[in-house]
Amino acid sequence: MRITQRAVALTSLQGLNRNLDAVGRLQQQLTSGRLINQPSDSPTGTNRAMQTRFDQAAVAQQQRNIGDAKSWLEQSDSALREMLDTTRRVRDLTVQGLNTGANTDTSRQALATEVASLRDGLLSLANRTISGRPLFGGVTPGQKAYDATGAYVGQAGPPVTRRVSDTETVRVDTTGPEAFGPVGNDLFAVVDRIATDLLADPTALATHLDDLDTVMKTMLTAVADIGSRAARVEREEQVNADRALTLSSQLAETENIDLPNTIMRLQMQQVGYEAALAATAKALSPTLLDYLY
Amino acid sequence: MSTFSGLNTATTALWAQRRALDVTGQNIANVNTEGYSRQRIDLQAIGGSVVPAFFSTGTGIGSGVNADEVLRIRDAFLEGRGHTEHANTARLTVENEAYELVMQAYREPGDTGVQSLLSDMWSGWEDVANQPQDEAARGQVLKRLETLVGGIHFSQASLGAQWTQSREALDVLVADVNAAATSVAELNQAIKRAVQSGLPANDLSDKRDVLVMKLADQVGATVRHQDDGVVDVLVGGMTLVAGSTAATFATAGTYSVDGVAGDPPRIVTAAGGYTVRAGGTAEGQLNSLNTIIPSYRNALDATAVSLATSLNTAHAAGWDLNGTPGTAILGSSSGPITAASLTVLISDPKLIAASSVAPTAGVPALDHGNADAIAQLRRSTTGVDANYRKMIVELGVEAAVAGRNLDIQTVISTQVDAARESVAGVNIDEEMTNMLSFQHAYSAAGRLITAIDETLDKLINGTGRVGL
Repeated sequence: MRITQRAVALTSLQGLNRNLDAVGRLQQQLTSGRLINQPSDSPTGTNRAMQTRFDQAAVAQQQRNIGDAKSWLEQSDSALREMLDTTRRVRDLTVQGLNTGANTDTSRQALATEVASLRDGLLSLANRTISGRPLFGGVTPGQKAYDATGAYVGQAGPPVTRRVSDTETVRVDTTGPEAFGPVGNDLFAVVDRIATDLLADPTALATHLDDLDTVMKTMLTAVADIGSRAARVEREEQVNADRALTLSSQLAETENIDLPNTIMRLQMQQVGYEAALAATAKALSPTLLDYLY
Repeated sequence: MSTFSGLNTATTALWAQRRALDVTGQNIANVNTEGYSRQRIDLQAIGGSVVPAFFSTGTGIGSGVNADEVLRIRDAFLEGRGHTEHANTARLTVENEAYELVMQAYREPGDTGVQSLLSDMWSGWEDVANQPQDEAARGQVLKRLETLVGGIHFSQASLGAQWTQSREALDVLVADVNAAATSVAELNQAIKRAVQSGLPANDLSDKRDVLVMKLADQVGATVRHQDDGVVDVLVGGMTLVAGSTAATFATAGTYSVDGVAGDPPRIVTAAGGYTVRAGGTAEGQLNSLNTIIPSYRNALDATAVSLATSLNTAHAAGWDLNGTPGTAILGSSSGPITAASLTVLISDPKLIAASSVAPTAGVPALDHGNADAIAQLRRSTTGVDANYRKMIVELGVEAAVAGRNLDIQTVISTQVDAARESVAGVNIDEEMTNMLSFQHAYSAAGRLITAIDETLDKLINGTGRVGL
């Protein structure tokens, strides 16, 4: 084949361009720190990266959901515990009231007043809200779970849940009847009856005491239930945190460059490029002219 | 054989070698000229009479050298191959660029593309599910929806702008092709006249072949050789240049990206309006105008429709804060829902139907079931996210294939160019060698004249002078 200087120059130029292109590509990867700058760089990698980013967004949201669930459960738990303490005090007072022989009317009056004020405290605890929603009100749009008379004004409906993972939701609320016994025979009605009968009919107090024990058992069950749900949420939180770590390392693996490897390759490519430049310079310069006098 | 025929022979030699040196000089001068074909002097010995007769005989030695013709060295088959490969390279280059621009319009994978906007939006729904009573959370999901719609609008507008630019480029290209065709026709005419009157037309032919190669790049032109060095230029079987007359092409079809389906952009003959199957850059541009860009615009439209349908259906299944059933949340600003017309219909955060239970006795429930259900739409395998991701991956595959094809085609094209160059290009070593031989031949012819001169001098001045 006949070779001309221009043909040599053209093919050398193509070789140089290809080398420079490879250097540029590696340079771009190094400066952007990313292996995939556009989908065509690696379609499968793109798919993986997009899927991972998608999962990351979901996991970040679930992290928020879990935080929210924890605060619901903690608030419910502390409200119920405080109420249990108060209820125990009510029970003590009731037992005192049962002691008919030792009580004068004045002391009975004092007991009744204290029970009535404890009932108000219980009501306000039962109406505790979390970001404007009553903890024990179900799905009510109102501000209260129990009104001033102790009647349940919450709304029954689907449970309030939080999504803690792609597939799992955890219930975070406890409705009034679930926590304080059925309407008509719940904590507030029982305490109300005790306050009344401390003065009116001390003999009925024994029955009320049994009712109060039943209510307390319900409340304890609710506390235990909340505790077990909180444990589950905490487990999910751990899983979620692990998953977030895995996902970010997975994304880095897919999208980010392997620094030593890329620097190494860039070095090698640069050596190759310089060699090509040197060879081209040597091959292009000589002609017969150099040897004619 | 006459007394002075030797001098004559030497003169032809001097003239021929000088002309050969001129040609060498021209070759060296144009060693780097684009499209220049090397020239070679065609030296021929002047023989005796072709038809010997009584008074027309030769000595059998011949009477010198003839150097009338200067040949232009170029391989017509390699040129044809070059036209085809150049056209392919040009087409793939344009298609590759089109894919690059489409990828830029989608900005994936990253934090600014539609996918991350979708993720933000779904997360917003979960926030509403967490705080159905909170108007801030509800307002936020509406804002995120608006941002998402804005992102879709932006991508669609980028594709539209790309289409409009390509469409304008096609007009410019056709105008350029027409100008080049006219020049080719004029050069054909000049070449024909030169050849017919026996004048050299090599440089005119070079100029014309450069133009023809440009036409091959632009519209995939091929040539058909005619008499007297004239070439006809054909595009997709239609004659663009016939001898010294050039036809005119024009573009036809819509100037609006939405009209592609009914009236696709195309190249037609100005006379008759027949569609031309163009190659080269024009084919690449037509492909991106009629196939590549519209298909990705349609995909984005489908994304918008699927988003609106799924959101609206899910939204209608719930009840808002006022206790009324959810209304359509996404719609069109005018006409059917497309990526460009998609708009958020709800502006009051209260109207977000987060609850999955109907109000009891007129009191709306503060439930979050429907908001959670909407947030879970993201996981649907036939949902917006999955389809969008699939589209981006397909785009990546197509763009990668286009890029790889271009790489391969570039190598082929460069090889063909090198082969063309190896036939038509100037080799300096070769020219130097030729120069030396012509120079020596010239010196030798000079010496011959001196020798004859001395011989004649002896004969004329040295003879018949006995005794002087």
